Amino acid sequence: MSSDLPIVTYLTGIVVISLFVNMGISLYGIFAKPSLIKKLIALTILSDTANVFAILVGYRRWPPGSIVRPPVLTELPPTPEKIAKFASTAVDPLPQALVLTAIVIGLAVIIFLAVVIMQVYRTYGTTDVRLISRLRGERR
Amino acid sequence: MEVLALTLMAIVALLSTLATYLAITERDLLTAVIYSALQSTAYAIIFYLLMAPDIVLVYIPVAVGLYPAVFIVLIKKSERYEGG
Amino acid sequence: MKYERALIAVAIIVFILVLSYAVALGAMGAALPPPDLRELAKNYLKLTINPWARNLTVMSPEAVTAIVWDFRGLDTFFETAVLYLAIIGTVAIYRGIRASRRAVESEEGSGMSPIAKSVTKITLPMVLAVAIAIALHGHLTPGGGFQGGSTAAVIMLLVLVVFSLQFSMRIGITKGSMLALRSTGLLGVAVTSVLVLILGLLIGYQAFIFQNQPKAYAPIGMPAALDGMLISGTLILFNIFECLAVAAGLTLTFILVLTHEEEIRSAMKGDKHE
Repeated sequence: MSSDLPIVTYLTGIVVISLFVNMGISLYGIFAKPSLIKKLIALTILSDTANVFAILVGYRRWPPGSIVRPPVLTELPPTPEKIAKFASTAVDPLPQALVLTAIVIGLAVIIFLAVVIMQVYRTYGTTDVRLISRLRGERR
Repeated sequence: MEVLALTLMAIVALLSTLATYLAITERDLLTAVIYSALQSTAYAIIFYLLMAPDIVLVYIPVAVGLYPAVFIVLIKKSERYEGG
Repeated sequence: MKYERALIAVAIIVFILVLSYAVALGAMGAALPPPDLRELAKNYLKLTINPWARNLTVMSPEAVTAIVWDFRGLDTFFETAVLYLAIIGTVAIYRGIRASRRAVESEEGSGMSPIAKSVTKITLPMVLAVAIAIALHGHLTPGGGFQGGSTAAVIMLLVLVVFSLQFSMRIGITKGSMLALRSTGLLGVAVTSVLVLILGLLIGYQAFIFQNQPKAYAPIGMPAALDGMLISGTLILFNIFECLAVAAGLTLTFILVLTHEEEIRSAMKGDKHE
């Protein structure tokens, strides 16, 4: 297993660095693009990338002799040998539970923001932040 | 076998970076929503390869079904092309 | 112009491939990915279904659902509250806007073509059955309340778009009925979380909120198996009510968002409805 350690680390490094680049590009999208809808799309990409990072923390290397499994025990009824084998080949279940909560909260926030952007368009007639700031609060 | 799974994960991660870049720099907002759905599909494959089936079952309806629907209704009711 | 974007995309990918070579040489410090799990994760994995540690276990072979609804149940309770607040905020923004009776009973805007309607009629019961199956099996296989609720919300959104909002309001998918279903689901979640506490107070045992199985100093709990089938105590009740609440809440949001612009603008200007 230690003979392919550089390859495994290189491939995991590709995944981690590309997720960092995703975060950077979406942060640039939130700051620099003038349309409110483009900012919203970039915000969804940013929150989804943070969730992938959390699940990546819970991953582990394959144990020698078997593949790594999701945290679901599939052989019932349980015996102590099956439980011990399960605890040595499964990934971490705690980040998955926390990310489940985070995805639902992100859904609630994005839907509410979309409704607010619709109301902004009805009030000011545009979704361009530069034009809205020039109006200084006057209605359309 | 572990190297094969990690190679697949690396290729899909690079595809997601490409889709993110195309989504942020696209001026037609409808095309940007399609690129964002492509990036969400790549993330769903990454979740599956990281052995998280609960997350895949939440993420596919939410990010490939509900987010593009809300964005398309929002674009229809306001502007389609990003100005400037 | 297109060549410029392609060049930048290729440059980003080459940058990622080169920078991860530095990671492979050890730039991130610890081993990536780690060779073994944390002790906390091993404890959770050993305690999800363990008839020999009856005071600490959840009796559910699905570790993630056990953590979401039993080990860290209060996190899920407050997350349900956050989703509830977002939907109430949407309802508050759209207050006073109701579809006029003339628009609901007219035949114009009757939706998309017959091909789309037939396909939706065929797939509607199939997707609803899959969503309810995902929610009911949440304690045995990957699934649960949120997964089933989101899948049901996707097919309800498709019905609202294909059959037109006016037709859906005529057959009963209105804001009032979806609010009633959501309130039923949230009431079910709240009652299930204090169910064992109330039972304990009535019988005379000590119990606590979000209790599922009997513990060392609180020897009362919900049954883990019913007639030989595993139901994991309160987990199945939580999954059923949460699926109902999430599906109804997201459908309610889409009913409000899909309202026609003329009705909203006339309500904003202050016209009265007939």
